[in-house]
Formats: sequence, structure tokens, C-alpha cells
Amino acid sequence: MSTHGHSDKFVYHEPGLQHQFSDMEQQEESVSIGMWMFLVQEIMFFGGLFTAYLVFRSKYPMAFAAGSNHLDAFWGGLNTIVLIVSSLTMALTVYYAQKGNRNLQVIFIILTMLFGATFLGVKAIEYNDKYHHGLVPIAGLNLRAKGTAGAEQHPEGKPCWEVAGHSAEPAAEHQYVNPKGEFEWADCSLAKLAQDEGYLTTAEQIGYFSNGELDGNKFRDKVRIFYYLYFVMTGLHALHMIVGLLLMTWLLWTAYKGYYNADYYMPVEMSGLYWHFVDIVWIFLFPLLYLLGRHFLHAGH
Amino acid sequence: MNAQDAVLETGYQSGIPPVNYLNIKTTLASWLLTKDHKRIALMYLVSVSVFFMIGGLFAATIRLELLTPASDLLETGTYNKVFTEHGIMMIFFFLIPSIPAVLGNFLIPIMIGAKDLALPRINLISLYIYWFAGALALYGLMVGGVDTGWTFYTPYSTTFSNTYVMIVGLAIFINGFSSILTGLNFIVTIHTMRAPGMTWFRLPLFVWAHYAVSLVMILGTPVVAITVLLLAIERVSRVGIFDPSIGGDPILFQHLFWFYSHPAVYIMVLPGMGVVSELISNFSRKKIFGYEFIAFSSIAIAVFGFLVWGHHLFVSGQSPYAGMVFSFLTMVVAVPSAIKMFNWTATLYKGSVSFDTPMLYGLGFMGLFLIGGLTGLFLGSMGLDVHLTDTYFVVAHFHYVMVGGQVIAYLGGIHYWWPKMTGRMYSEFWGKISAMLVFVGFNLTFFPQFLLGYMGMPRRYAAYPPEFQVLNIFSTAGASVLGIGMLMPVIYLVHSLKFGKPAGDNPWMLPGLEWRTTSPPPLENFATPPVVTWEAYEFGEGSGLDLEEARRRAAAPAIL
Repeated sequence: MSTHGHSDKFVYHEPGLQHQFSDMEQQEESVSIGMWMFLVQEIMFFGGLFTAYLVFRSKYPMAFAAGSNHLDAFWGGLNTIVLIVSSLTMALTVYYAQKGNRNLQVIFIILTMLFGATFLGVKAIEYNDKYHHGLVPIAGLNLRAKGTAGAEQHPEGKPCWEVAGHSAEPAAEHQYVNPKGEFEWADCSLAKLAQDEGYLTTAEQIGYFSNGELDGNKFRDKVRIFYYLYFVMTGLHALHMIVGLLLMTWLLWTAYKGYYNADYYMPVEMSGLYWHFVDIVWIFLFPLLYLLGRHFLHAGH
Repeated sequence: MNAQDAVLETGYQSGIPPVNYLNIKTTLASWLLTKDHKRIALMYLVSVSVFFMIGGLFAATIRLELLTPASDLLETGTYNKVFTEHGIMMIFFFLIPSIPAVLGNFLIPIMIGAKDLALPRINLISLYIYWFAGALALYGLMVGGVDTGWTFYTPYSTTFSNTYVMIVGLAIFINGFSSILTGLNFIVTIHTMRAPGMTWFRLPLFVWAHYAVSLVMILGTPVVAITVLLLAIERVSRVGIFDPSIGGDPILFQHLFWFYSHPAVYIMVLPGMGVVSELISNFSRKKIFGYEFIAFSSIAIAVFGFLVWGHHLFVSGQSPYAGMVFSFLTMVVAVPSAIKMFNWTATLYKGSVSFDTPMLYGLGFMGLFLIGGLTGLFLGSMGLDVHLTDTYFVVAHFHYVMVGGQVIAYLGGIHYWWPKMTGRMYSEFWGKISAMLVFVGFNLTFFPQFLLGYMGMPRRYAAYPPEFQVLNIFSTAGASVLGIGMLMPVIYLVHSLKFGKPAGDNPWMLPGLEWRTTSPPPLENFATPPVVTWEAYEFGEGSGLDLEEARRRAAAPAIL
């Protein structure tokens, strides 16, 4: 990094130049390094969660595959596309800020915000689906009423690997009762598959079994860990999206007022960096949560 | 005579420069809304002192309870809360912010010749976050406290403890962002705000140490933040990844926690090493030996510090092969610390050593850190650690590093830069007395604990077998000496604010950039933006410092 000459006291100060800097170049460099450092700490913040995901997926791959397969890759994929396009509109916002084109800036900020809001809307649809299917890992936060959900009916007498999967026909109206809003999961057929094929991990050989028998309840607990991580990771990501939208609202106002031009566009560029970061986190979340284990959907069992 | 000289001259005549960062505005709002790094540093100084005293009161309570073998002063449950709160107050609210947020904040911009930190608003925000988190933690203590130990191990903290884990955990989560923002600010500032001529290898080693610390703050703190957040979610929702009853892993908590908290112990000693590099070189009036080695050993400590967390898990059910690797890496991280020790010693050799109060602390640091560091090797050896885990040996070891290291260096730094911060000189006589009391009291408190630990006295118990009483009495007696030694600076430093002799700009004739501005410095630190033409710790002709002139200006410091 270069060192910067300090200007004398009575020089022309550009608008937007803070008193502690001697010129815009120094200010831009500082703000930029600051933002990158902030993103580094964000990576470490999510890094803890990714580590936790890694640990439990390598311990209980079958439970994670089962849980993952119930997530709807359509919604996840749609959200991925929405975020990638929003990154494009964000990049164009920065481009037009540098060009000093106020109107296109405003248009692309609005588009970016629309895509961000779409993402959150889709997320809400997905969370709502989990709520109705008894898949929120926190006891009491699932739909308590009698429902018409898929396969969460209590398997009377059936071994857990013969319980129909979530794609099976709905149970009759009065069979499904979840009075306490518990986490519900019945199907352990993937564990059975892995047992038959002989590739259960050591942790699974302990974690899924009671007295040498596959135990649906113990399998459910591991799926519950998957959904716990799903909600924490996507929840924190959604929180970052909301912060991003607040940032965009402020940016929209200042851009509308015409604050940014070829000489002063750092706030736009920094907000852009943040926005891209949030997108990139999702690019990792999507395959880890929605796609890994998907091949089991086509494995005969 | 140019403008700067005029200001200096006026300052010399009246004792205190007429316009400085302290008297330029004096309203409450001018303090609470300031973006001046020096004022923020002073507010940090007052705040961390408050938390230090609270933590100290808990320490005093612990030592009083341990005066007798039976648990008679406190119930065992209360004792659990007291040692937990001692740890939380001291680590999260005193040690971590102490040197960086007070001395680093005050000095880094001055030492590199900048007007302020690069992001002054972020700096003020970090102070407010710290205040908010501290208030929340105090609230948690007042409504009932927390008894998990400062490490919050699961599943006790998530499932069983019925104390206020949530509030205090949340406070620590929030406080983390204060330290992240401080670290971020330092990194940016050191990269972009250096004065013309202030190259990387002309930076004072204090700045290098803070660069390393800032890296640790940025890379480590978010991990403990997410860990504490997961703990909080788990405690509220009664489900989570640390719960063994559903296949979760409580050891994972320890891994995630120590991934931050081991590097955090370097947050708690690297700034101290930075201060000591300044003290040793300046009070030996000799260019520091092996500048580059000390600079890079700080970076090496920061990097290797991230690879040794597993040595806290030797007996937690970690694989012995992982244990061996962590044990080896623990030995590796001792090397850069040893490099520093050797270089400081070599700096002293044939130097013109003077024993002013700050230097007494600097030398005290070298002795205490040596013991603390070497006993760390005992604990880092996997086999021996099985015997010493969770005994008073561990307690003694980390107090030697944290108190013997960071607190001693912090006190040394406060004394060293006090004339610069306030423009006043404290009583050298009382300074020396207190430095010696702290040194003696500290050793008397904690050395017996090595013996106790080696004999098998476990930590975190309110009661102990009667045969350990003699050494515990030594320890408690030492703690009272230490307490008095620590209280004395509060009195004579505050006294000096009003009655101290004007210190002059450069009371010890030192070449550092901070000594080339007025005491206290003006609002933007220098009357004329400095241009650096000298190497760091240059005491000879090359320093460009007119010693005759400096001597003439300096008010005679009060010497014992």
C-alpha cells in the first residue's frame, strides 16, 4: 500500500471527504479495505455454521439426505436464479453510479430490491410449508391442528423404513394429530438402504439404532439436526438479506437525490460488495441444503 | 519560528499547551458524540477500569472464600457464579479491550502520523456497543448471574444451568462486534493512514502487535459470536446441535469456542508484547534488537494461534492423534514468543537502562511472561496435561500470562503514555512503589497456585482438603498486596490530573512520533503533518530530534 501525502490546511476539500483523510484516493482505499475486512469477518461468522453442517453431514449423511430431499429444489433453484440476477442488477447499479446516470441507478436499485423481496417471499413460502408439515425443529412451533399433511402420520406397527415417504398420498383427515406441534418425521428408508448396502458411517451405526434395530425416533432426531441447521443457516442468511434491503432503501433515497457521480460512488460500490457477499453465501447454501443427497430420490428401495 | 514552534513555546511556558484535545470543548455532548480517537480512548480507559474493579471484587471474594478449606463464606452455588463472573468481566470486558481499545486507540494514529483512525464513526460505534454489552452483562449479574464458567460449556449451559445464561451470553455476543470493529479500524488505519515516510518497517512494534491482534479479532471473534448465538438458540428452543440426547455434539461447542478463545488469549497478550517492545527499547535508549523478527513473530503468533485450539480438549474426548498434532503445534507457537523474549533481552544488553516506573512494569512483564509461557509448554504436552487439567496449575499459568503479561503491560503502558495523554506527570515515587507491590503481590498470589495445582487441587471448587490451606493463605495474602498495588495507581494517577507537574512534550527524550507532538496532543494530533525521515527506535543523530531543544522544553520530571 502506498503512503499518502498530507495536504496543507487550506486546500480545496472535495464534498464527501472526511476530515481525517488528505484526499479522496486515501478515503476510497480506506473504505474499501474496511468493507473487505467486514466481509472477512462475515465469512468467519458463517464459517462456524458451515463447519457445524460439515460435522453433522459427515456423521449422519443418510439423515441429511432424507431431510435434504424433502426440501423443494424448485423453490431453492428459483431463489438461486433470483439472487444471481439481482447481483447483475446490483453490478449495473454500481456501473451507472460511476457513470453518474441517476435514472438508471434508481431503476436498477429498485429492480435489485424487487429481486431481494422476491427471495424473501419464496423463503416465506418454504418456511410456511415446513410449518404445515411438522418440520420446524423447535417443538411447539409447528401446526398443532389436525392436518392433511403427507407422511407424518404415526406409523402404527409398521417399521420406520416401510413408512411412505413425503411424496405419498395424504393421510386421512383425522389420522394426523400433532397436538403439541412436535417435529415429525417417520420415514427412515434411507438408513435401511445404507444398512442393506453396508455404507452406514460409524456414527450412524450408533445413532440410528436401538438394540440392533433401526429406530425411527433416533433417525428422526438426526433429521431434526438437519432442519435445525437449515433454519439457522437460511434464517441468518435471510436476516442479512433484510439488512441488505434496508441498505438498498437508503441507497435508493440518496441515489434519487443524486449524491453519486464519477467522483463519489463509494457507498454504492460498498453496498454492492455486501449484496454480492449475501448472494454468494446463498450459492453455497443452495447445493449443501437442497441438492446433496438428491440422487437417493432415484435409488430404488 | 514556525506555527508549530509557536504552539510548543506557549505550551512550554504555561506547562500545558493552550489548545489540546481535552480542553478544546468541554461539554458532555462533545465527549459523547466525539469522533476523536483520543477522547474515545479515554472513555474506554474509564470504562475498562470500572469493569476491572468489578472483576477485581469478584477475585477478592474468591480469594476470601479460599482462605479456609470449608465452603463457609459462600455457598457452593454462589461460588460458581462468582468465579464465572470474575472470568467474564475480566476477559470479555477488561482484558480484550484493555490495551487495544485504550492505548491502541489513543496511540496508533499518533504513532503513524495520522489525524485520526480511518473510520472514526465506527470507532465511536464500537464504544457504544461495548457500553451496551457491558450494561447488559451487569444487568445479567444483578438479576442473578451465571454459573457456567466463562467457557459456557455445553450441555450444562444449554440444558441444565438455571442461571441467566441468555442475558450474559447475549452480552458477550454483542460485545464481540465492538472488538471486531476496533480490529477492522486498526487494520484499515495501519494500511492507509501512515504519514509520508512512515514505511511498514518504520512502524513502532506496538503498531505491528496491534496489526496482528486486529487480524485475530477479525478472524476469531465472529466464530465465537456464532457459537454463542447457537448456544442461545439451543437454550431457548431446547433443540440444537450441542445436545447429545438427539445425536448432537457437545465437543463441537468446545471446538468452536476454543477456535476463537485460544486466539483470544493472544488478543490478551500480543498488545502487551507491543507495549513491552516500546518500553524495553525506549528505556534502554537502544535500537530494538531484531526489529523484523519481533514484527513478524507477532504475525506468526496470530497465525499459529489459530491452529492450537485443540490443546484445550486433550481430555474432552478428542482423538489422541488430533491431540498429538495440537500438542506439536502448541510447541511451535512458543517459538515466536521465545524470539521476542530473546530479542528484548538482547536489547537490554549494553543498553543505558533506566528504571522509571514504566520500565519496572516492562521488566516485570519479562519475568512473569517467561514463567507463564514456559508453564504453558507443560500444559501443551499431552501426557503431562492429563495430570494438570482443571487444576490450579492451569489457573496459575493463565494468570501469569494474562495478569503477569497483559495487565502488567497495560499498567506499564498507562504509566508510560500518561504524560502524553494528560499532559501531567504522576508521582514517580508512588509509581515505583506500586509497580513493586504489584510484582511481589502477583507472585505471592499465583506462584503457590502452581504448587497447589501440581499437588492436585482442582479449580472451580469452593472447598478443598485442609492440607492445601497454607498455600491458599499465601495466595490470599498475596492477593491483598496485589489489590493494594493495583489501587494505588488509581489514586496517584487521578491526583496527578490536577496536581501533577506538567510533563512537557517529551519527558524521557524519546524519538517516537508520539513524543514529537505536544502533551496533550492537539485535536488532529500534530500542528503540522509530520514527515518521517528516521528509522524506528533511532536514538542517534539519525532521529532528527533536537535533544538540546527537547531537554530545554521538558519540564523536569519528578524523579525518586
